[in-house]
Amino acid sequence: MKLNKFLVLVACLTTLSLLYVYQQTEIFRLAYLGQKKITLCQELLDKNTVIRYNIARNASLIRIGNKVATSADFQMPDTYRLVKLSRPLEGIKVAQYIPKKETMIARIFGIKTQAQAKTINPSAPFSSVRSARFDAR
Amino acid sequence: MHISNYRRKFEAVFLLFVVFLLICVGRLLYIQFFKSEFLASIAKKQHNLYVELEPRRGTLFDTNNKPLAVNISVDSLFASPSSIPDKNKEAIIRQLSPILGISGASLREKLYKKKHFVWLARKITPEQSESIKKLKIKNLGFIKESKRCYPNGYLASHVLGFAGLDNTGLEGLELNYDNYLKGQAGWALFLRDARQNKLDLWEKMVLPSDGYDLVLTIDEVIQYIAERELDKAFKQYRAKGASIVVLDPHTGAVLAFANRPTYDLNDYSSASKDVRRNRLICDMFEPGSVFKIVTASAALEEKKVSEEDKIFCENGSFKVSNHILHDHTSHGWLTFRQVIEESSNIGTTKVAMMLGKDTVYKYVKLFGFGSKTGIDLRGEISGMMIEPRYWSKVSIANVPIGQGVGVTTLQLANEIAIIANGGQLMQPFIVREIRDQYGEPVKVIEPKMIKKVLSVDTANRIKKILVGVVEEGTGKMAKVLGFSAAGKTGTAQKLEPNGTYSHDKFVASFIGFAPAEDPLIAVAVTVDEPRGSIYGGVVSAPVFKNVANDTLRYLRTRQLPEEILISDETD
Repeated sequence: MKLNKFLVLVACLTTLSLLYVYQQTEIFRLAYLGQKKITLCQELLDKNTVIRYNIARNASLIRIGNKVATSADFQMPDTYRLVKLSRPLEGIKVAQYIPKKETMIARIFGIKTQAQAKTINPSAPFSSVRSARFDAR
Repeated sequence: MHISNYRRKFEAVFLLFVVFLLICVGRLLYIQFFKSEFLASIAKKQHNLYVELEPRRGTLFDTNNKPLAVNISVDSLFASPSSIPDKNKEAIIRQLSPILGISGASLREKLYKKKHFVWLARKITPEQSESIKKLKIKNLGFIKESKRCYPNGYLASHVLGFAGLDNTGLEGLELNYDNYLKGQAGWALFLRDARQNKLDLWEKMVLPSDGYDLVLTIDEVIQYIAERELDKAFKQYRAKGASIVVLDPHTGAVLAFANRPTYDLNDYSSASKDVRRNRLICDMFEPGSVFKIVTASAALEEKKVSEEDKIFCENGSFKVSNHILHDHTSHGWLTFRQVIEESSNIGTTKVAMMLGKDTVYKYVKLFGFGSKTGIDLRGEISGMMIEPRYWSKVSIANVPIGQGVGVTTLQLANEIAIIANGGQLMQPFIVREIRDQYGEPVKVIEPKMIKKVLSVDTANRIKKILVGVVEEGTGKMAKVLGFSAAGKTGTAQKLEPNGTYSHDKFVASFIGFAPAEDPLIAVAVTVDEPRGSIYGGVVSAPVFKNVANDTLRYLRTRQLPEEILISDETD
């Protein structure tokens, strides 16, 4: 009986010891695994920062400015050089507007509506150009 | 007999074992009680690895949150010379030298040291790192380090400054705000395996606190415009140096700040100290006629003259004490307005004589000359302004026209900003916000008014006179297309080392603001020792014109998307 108890105790202790060793090896195995993944992630993050930096460097005004300066005479556009585009719907409205027929009285007394330009293709986008003024300098 | 002999042998062996066991127990007890601390410390050293955790250095952003200085993670290359066989060293040198751009002799010196660790190259480019990794050379290794990089190269180099190899600020804002930018290093005790490799298991860890980000008042676009135009003038007139500063006159916020010559921040080590000097705040010069604004302001504020009062300009020659004062072109009777428009030295001196030296000095000090502006950059000088009790008899003819005083370009920018904003001396500043890594503001720097210098009425009257300088006077080349501008030209002779005025070395300057009716920008341009032409109205005024032209267009077009949005909503 005593021997049995002793054997059970030894078996338990051995099992616990083995479990402890297994746990430790697992911890280290997972640590190695984690480390590999962290290294990978870190590398990707580093590459990301390098790429972002390269984008910023290539998009910098100095670089663009130098390229533009050698190839074209670039100037900051002024407000009078900018064209405001209204929604296509408004253009369609303008294009589809049919003026009232000129009456006899209007024809006699010369009451005429203002000349209106009509777009050729009302369905095309950006058909109406509002307050467009170009300066071809 | 046989049995008893056997028993004795058995007892002897048993005794031997017992003695051995006792020795072991004794040794164990000795180790446990007397050597435990010593051995535990050795074990700890072997198991644990102390690692300093580097904090992220704060980023510098321009006013529109575009990055001006960032950190990227790069490799640093090291070698273990003691582990490399001598026969392999020459081959390694031949392979590494062209990739790293380091001479063979320099590499040889490092690789033949009897050391376990030497840096071969710190913070190399990713391309270099990849090339070396492909070579698969044994006993070479890489350590990741953070490198400070500047995507815009030389843009705003004198403002930003740079950080050294150990990420410590060495110049400019990098130095001035180093305490905010650098953050606080952390540390960790990592576990090591039997091969002494670091595991990502730590016993203790104190996380690093990252540095704060700085948001500047500098606008990348305006900075670029200012540098582009300054560079043109610097090259065209083969000048010794040139400076430009663009301020928001109402707040004192610095929109652009540049010097020539300049240097690439990513390669600061190859720039000389002279190139790295921040001339805008470190160089003092006699301002010349741009200083007449102070005299004119004092005269109007003290009600000694009005714009239409007539002053006789002595036909170009006027004796003060033993000194004969000249105008660049001779004038007879001029109104006070014309005196400033035509930049008459004699007319201005006569007005200053009416004011007296104490009043002139008072206004010079009120305008901030002879004192530091208080800008958040290191190395600023206060300039030079002698007290009236030390003035000579000719000082009353010199000081009001900008001779015998020493100023910086930034002080001149402040001078013109006072006129532009209605008479207030604002403190120029470059950093408008300090943020933590989550974008939360830690400190917001508000505009600071130093003092009220002039009444709004006087400032407006001077403004009108300065519009006349650009429209009719010496500053015609500063006329901005589509906008009204105001300003003053200056051409100052430089002092020779023997104390006499030079006849071929000048400082050409222009200070102005635009639009005149509601100023958005105040600009000061100085060109040191231009060749070909020497006049501020010819050399510096066009720089102002082009900068103001493009900057105002930029500031206006920046507002355009909102207009479109509003028109879309109303549609």
